[in-house]
Amino acid sequence: MFKKIIVLLMLSMLVAVSAQAELKVNSEGKPIIKVASDCTWPPMEFINKDKQLVGFSVDLMKAAAEAGGYVVEIKNVAWDGIFAGLAAGKYDCITSSVSINDKRKKAMDFSSPYFEVTQAVVTNKDSNAKTLADFKGMKVGAQIGTTGYFAVKKTDDVIAKSYDEVGLAMEDLYNGRLVAVVCDNPVAADFALQQAEYSKRMKIAFTVKSDTTEFYGVAIRKGNTEVLELINKGLAAVVKDGTYDKINAKWFGTAK
Amino acid sequence: MTDKPTKIEITDGAGIPAKNDAGLISAWWISFIGAISIITYLVVTKPDPYKDILMFVPDGILVTFQVTIFSIIGASIIGLFTGLGRISKNKILNLIASTYVEVVRGIPLLVQLFYIYYALGRVLQVPDMLSAIIAMSVCYGAYMGEVFRAGIDSIDSGQTEAARSLGFDKNQTMFFVVLPQAWRMILPPVGNEFIALLKDSSLVSILAVADILRRGREFAAESFQYFETYTMIALLYLLITLILSKGVSYMEDRLNHYDR
Repeated sequence: MFKKIIVLLMLSMLVAVSAQAELKVNSEGKPIIKVASDCTWPPMEFINKDKQLVGFSVDLMKAAAEAGGYVVEIKNVAWDGIFAGLAAGKYDCITSSVSINDKRKKAMDFSSPYFEVTQAVVTNKDSNAKTLADFKGMKVGAQIGTTGYFAVKKTDDVIAKSYDEVGLAMEDLYNGRLVAVVCDNPVAADFALQQAEYSKRMKIAFTVKSDTTEFYGVAIRKGNTEVLELINKGLAAVVKDGTYDKINAKWFGTAK
Repeated sequence: MTDKPTKIEITDGAGIPAKNDAGLISAWWISFIGAISIITYLVVTKPDPYKDILMFVPDGILVTFQVTIFSIIGASIIGLFTGLGRISKNKILNLIASTYVEVVRGIPLLVQLFYIYYALGRVLQVPDMLSAIIAMSVCYGAYMGEVFRAGIDSIDSGQTEAARSLGFDKNQTMFFVVLPQAWRMILPPVGNEFIALLKDSSLVSILAVADILRRGREFAAESFQYFETYTMIALLYLLITLILSKGVSYMEDRLNHYDR
């Protein structure tokens, strides 16, 4: 009897472990990858007027899934804590304009890069600043935990203010509490130029110079090679068949 | 010569053990010593990241204190006038005060903070720290108003009647007779509001005000050490509120003591 219980316990543990490692499959037998995304980052990923998750990376993930033979379920997760959720196994990967850097590579794995990005500085139209150092003693905002925020913090004598969402930082710039906001260039373009109210007063002044090129990648839980391989396969396929260029043209006008 | 005066001094003097002070083994001491020991243990045994976190947040602690203290002062002033308005016989004043209480108590603090900071920011440019303090004061002023009203209500109407018959006018009665007595009833709940306000002040971190929580989140966002960071943040808040609650219960005991 005692032995039976031990065997049963061990078996159930095996089942539990394998269930965690293997992806669930849908009715057609395709594996389901759960994706987290902070949808406050237009035009990369955001929620449109019909309450739908849309954007460049959303389209890209769906196309990659189609090409790679898997299904994606995208969930809106707040940026603050999005990496903690990945580590805790709440989802399989993050496609949320995550820039690949060495510090993050220690905590998670990355897919092959899918988008090149620079840090753009949005200011008021009358500003003459050419570099971040020109904002000496003034408040510059960015979203918490983003490369933009780290760039501001690295600049001496500039007061870095971190916001939960980049939109809130833009609102504070509009209201005059900040002199500038630093964020990824496609997002800066969307906020400063596309939104009627903001574009009257704001401009993209310059980009932050960096010695290394910055790329977005899909962040995957450390050691989860199954998901990593599936996503890389999908991404490679959409780049090869030209779908990537079509999506790029859809969101940014001209294909690069 | 008699020794009467000294005897009175002794019985009436300070140092009489407070009635709810149960020595070293009480929930308060367990929590207090526990929190301090855990913080010390973590910092000593795992300086990376716990000591780093502790070094990262001090200016946040200062900001939290600033927001809390200025807000409680603002809320007390608003609360006093709201409380007086609520018991006023002047229908218009009464209506204004009551409406304020109803409206503010019906809107979550987080929403009020967003509103005062971002929505009003379009019309009126107030610095972030000040608007956080204003928002906290406005929200807690409504609750304080009820505390003041209850305190004033608790004073026997005979006191007012006596004061009036001695020739005090309405305002004199309120400020020289009723309020000084009501203060004793008001102080303990004000102390509780103080502690509640300190905890709720963590909400101002959404306004990019660099309080304890915001500093902690900045640390976590960079290091990905969420568990460690929030453990430290929780312990720090616990420690601060414990110290404050001791202060509040000390004040209560002093008041009760004089009441005897």
